[in-house]
Amino acid sequence: MENNIITIDIEKMMFTANGKLNLVVNTHINIGELVALFGQSGAGKTTLLRILSGLIKPDKGIVKFGETVWFDSSKGINISPKERNISFMFQDYALFPNMTVEENILFAQPKKSREDALELLAVFGLSEFSKRKPSGLSGGQKQRVALARALARKPQLLLLDEPLSALDADMRVALQNEIYQAHKLLGATTIMVSHDLNEVFRLASHVLCIEKGLIGRVGTPDEVFSDSSVSGKVQITGQIARIEKQDTINIVTVISGSNQIIKVIAFDNDMENLQVGDSVLVFTKAFNPIISKLM
Amino acid sequence: MNKLEAKITQIQQSGAILLVDAEVDGQVFSALLIESATNPEWLQIGHSVNLVFKETEVSLAKNLAGTISIRNKMVCTVISINKGELLSKIEMKFNNYTIGSLITTRAVNALELIVNEEIIAMVKSNEISLMC
Repeated sequence: MENNIITIDIEKMMFTANGKLNLVVNTHINIGELVALFGQSGAGKTTLLRILSGLIKPDKGIVKFGETVWFDSSKGINISPKERNISFMFQDYALFPNMTVEENILFAQPKKSREDALELLAVFGLSEFSKRKPSGLSGGQKQRVALARALARKPQLLLLDEPLSALDADMRVALQNEIYQAHKLLGATTIMVSHDLNEVFRLASHVLCIEKGLIGRVGTPDEVFSDSSVSGKVQITGQIARIEKQDTINIVTVISGSNQIIKVIAFDNDMENLQVGDSVLVFTKAFNPIISKLM
Repeated sequence: MNKLEAKITQIQQSGAILLVDAEVDGQVFSALLIESATNPEWLQIGHSVNLVFKETEVSLAKNLAGTISIRNKMVCTVISINKGELLSKIEMKFNNYTIGSLITTRAVNALELIVNEEIIAMVKSNEISLMC
């Protein structure tokens, strides 16, 4: 069993914009899975990624990849980031501006192989850009190069810190598909920080929610995000975009994670603690919605 | 939304469909549900739940005669009538609960509703959700 999991049991005092917060994580991740870290800003998601990468040292605890100990405070073990065989990708591309796309990939390879580099560029549809410098690429293309470069290391663990948050919606979906395909193809355990429910549902097989430095709900996206405290089987989460008082009621416009616009009738007593921008659950019963085929 | 505190007294199941009976102040209400992949632990006889239904699903009747298919009936007293151009909100007292109904202003006029009079509020079983 231990062979196939990443064991994380750490504590780290974080100094956030809102003061001190102790990050306490005791969980495990199955090797080979694509896991989403979900939670609000400042909850500790990025700190946890950096602890896994070795860029931040926990105050105490253990981190193990299978049976390999990466960090153990009681034994004074702290393996350097280089020896952990990981790749880290951020939302800003951090490509080398003076190198071409191909050189960026070659640079990341532990064993230089032009053939492998060109194959990776082909996988990401970047072959025609191989001789270009990053300044000649669009945002989506740069992020593709960054992803290809992260994979060029053949990492056993790929850490993605909101890799797509700077991209527009269409480009996000395209890159999500590529992350999914790359994960299937290469099988590297992938841990991705995301705020985007749609992205989590599309990509992740397992979700860890971090709330104020602590691991909250854990499970498949369905298990984590379906609210089992309500019997209603049609459940949509979203954010309130508009509240309009009309006649004796309020019409509340909610934008769901997949950019669907939903309108819900609500009454003054429903609205007491709700305002624009709030995250909400919209639910109804399986008996009520009408279904029809899209033309 | 309307919310009534209840205790589950019976669960009848056929395939994935559940008919849950729950008592509110000794009166039985029924809610029709679809089974979840994993039924929550609160969905058991004896557990306390909230019966939740939207104001738009509450029908009103006066001098109701004959029989009717709607299972959930509450004898209420009208507290307030807020008439809008098309829609009106009626607030009513049911035992110690305040419940609301949204019906058309035409319907309010046809019922000749007035404050303090007795009225029957009705909700179909498939419109009631359970919340723990």
